[in-house]
Amino acid sequence: MRGQIIDAIYERMAANPDIFFVTADMGINLIEKFEETYPDRFANVGIAEQNMVGVSAGLANLGYRPFAYTISNFAIHRCFEQIRNEIGIHGYPITLLGTSTGYDNAPLGPTHHIIDEWGALKGIPGIDIYCPSSVIYAGALIDKILSAGRPAYVRIPKGEFKTPDSTDDFVKLPGASSDVLLVSYGTPAQTCLQAQEKDPRLSVLVVNKLRPLDDEAIAAALAPHDQIYVVEDHFPSSGLYGSLCEVIAGHPIKGRLRSLAPRDYTLDVGTSPAFFHQKYGIDLAGLTRAMA
Amino acid sequence: MPSETLTHPPEVRANAVSPVAVRRTVLGMLHKAGASHLGSNMSVIEMMVAMFGAVDTSKIASHAPDRSRILISKGHCAAATYGTMAHYGIIPFSLTETYHLDGSRLAGHVSHAVPGVEHSTGALGHGLNVAVGCAMGLRSRGHGDRLVLTLCGDGEIQEGSIWEGLMFASHQKLNNFIALVDNNRISSITNTEKVIDMRPLPNRFAGFGLNVHEVDGHDVGAITAAINEIKAGDRPGVIVCNTIKGKDVPFAEWQPIWHYRSLNDDLYAQALAHLDTLEPRQ
Repeated sequence: MRGQIIDAIYERMAANPDIFFVTADMGINLIEKFEETYPDRFANVGIAEQNMVGVSAGLANLGYRPFAYTISNFAIHRCFEQIRNEIGIHGYPITLLGTSTGYDNAPLGPTHHIIDEWGALKGIPGIDIYCPSSVIYAGALIDKILSAGRPAYVRIPKGEFKTPDSTDDFVKLPGASSDVLLVSYGTPAQTCLQAQEKDPRLSVLVVNKLRPLDDEAIAAALAPHDQIYVVEDHFPSSGLYGSLCEVIAGHPIKGRLRSLAPRDYTLDVGTSPAFFHQKYGIDLAGLTRAMA
Repeated sequence: MPSETLTHPPEVRANAVSPVAVRRTVLGMLHKAGASHLGSNMSVIEMMVAMFGAVDTSKIASHAPDRSRILISKGHCAAATYGTMAHYGIIPFSLTETYHLDGSRLAGHVSHAVPGVEHSTGALGHGLNVAVGCAMGLRSRGHGDRLVLTLCGDGEIQEGSIWEGLMFASHQKLNNFIALVDNNRISSITNTEKVIDMRPLPNRFAGFGLNVHEVDGHDVGAITAAINEIKAGDRPGVIVCNTIKGKDVPFAEWQPIWHYRSLNDDLYAQALAHLDTLEPRQ
């Protein structure tokens, strides 16, 4: 997914002289082409994320459309006040590109588990939040961001997910029954799609754009279902579960909303995301258990 | 945008703007509003006059894309910023009279709601980094001859982000970037030397590869000369401006409490009377 996004930015730079790529020294064997082709629209600020956001704001002052790239936890937590002041207050059309989500960096420990970052960002008004759940959406995303002209954060899961085959901000894959709906985004969305493959009665709602939500359309998608499970690799209160609670509070939804998600940091070591998905019940077995 | 007509034509230059007159304007703003931060707003006056005097203020007033940029990183010097901008004809004096009051655009920290202000600041360690981005952006746009001047405090430079920005400016050889440090030697509650002793301060910046000048921060000519020397070189610069917090307000000079205190009528009259001894009112 990262490749599609980077390629799209690079390709758009040829015709759009306002795109500027900024990295905090991340993206080996991926981002070198920006500097080679567009040295005047590339900056590596070093391991200095606060400066990355400040410099991006200065570039935006000059009319540039900066894309600022680093690992998601650094992109958000390290420079939270810079995001609030330079992006939130000024409304500059800066896009933060965060690589890795959830437990993508599983064995690297809790500092690199990205399970709380977009929820933190949700507290700052005016920043669109995306989490592409497939390469198809990822390939279309940069054009969406460029035409929106708003501040944005893109949470980029590791992986090359081929489904769902849609460029829509959310996509519903109805099942044979209206009993159960699984709602998810990013890597856990794949688990939900696997669950649906096993049990075609299940419906799945994959959300690619986490904020702002189209409340009416989301409410309509939730409405037919009796049991709704929000499956995410992020804390639920600040995650999609929290957002859907707000939607449900304002709409006559009959279904019961439940969360399957991590709720705390952990010092446990696991070599792959699967270890943590199992631990927190967001793997296939966990979903099956929860729905039993 | 304010609808009022400008009091001064935009071509007013540094030598036409009197720091004493600006001080008078700023004290009036602080008194009327009952606002704080008097100490810093007095220490930076000559720096403000020199910065706005070093650039084409008509381009700032017209928001020209190729304008030089001035970013006030120590955002609590808002009154001094707005007062100086009024004396340079960037905003009307009538606007300064709304400072810090209900419904005004002029908050107690610098705000881009005010025409001519590049960036809102207030939290420290932000404006300098944005200024570095402006310097890089100007260069990329083919306007590397335009200056980016940023004003920060000697307390503010305790923020780590400041050094991130300076490292990057130095590496990128952004010679259109100049940081002016208001070295008034008092931060929030006490002397900076008691908190984090950075003396000799110029050496710290020189160690980052910057073109460092140390001047009397109340000498507009010296600051202007340093700006011109840095601009002519090939490296970004820092001008350590040695100042007096509360400058020319005798009861406030060197007193940390004037970061917080506001002027009552008697003290305001005393302050104006002292300024009258320095330069008669026009």
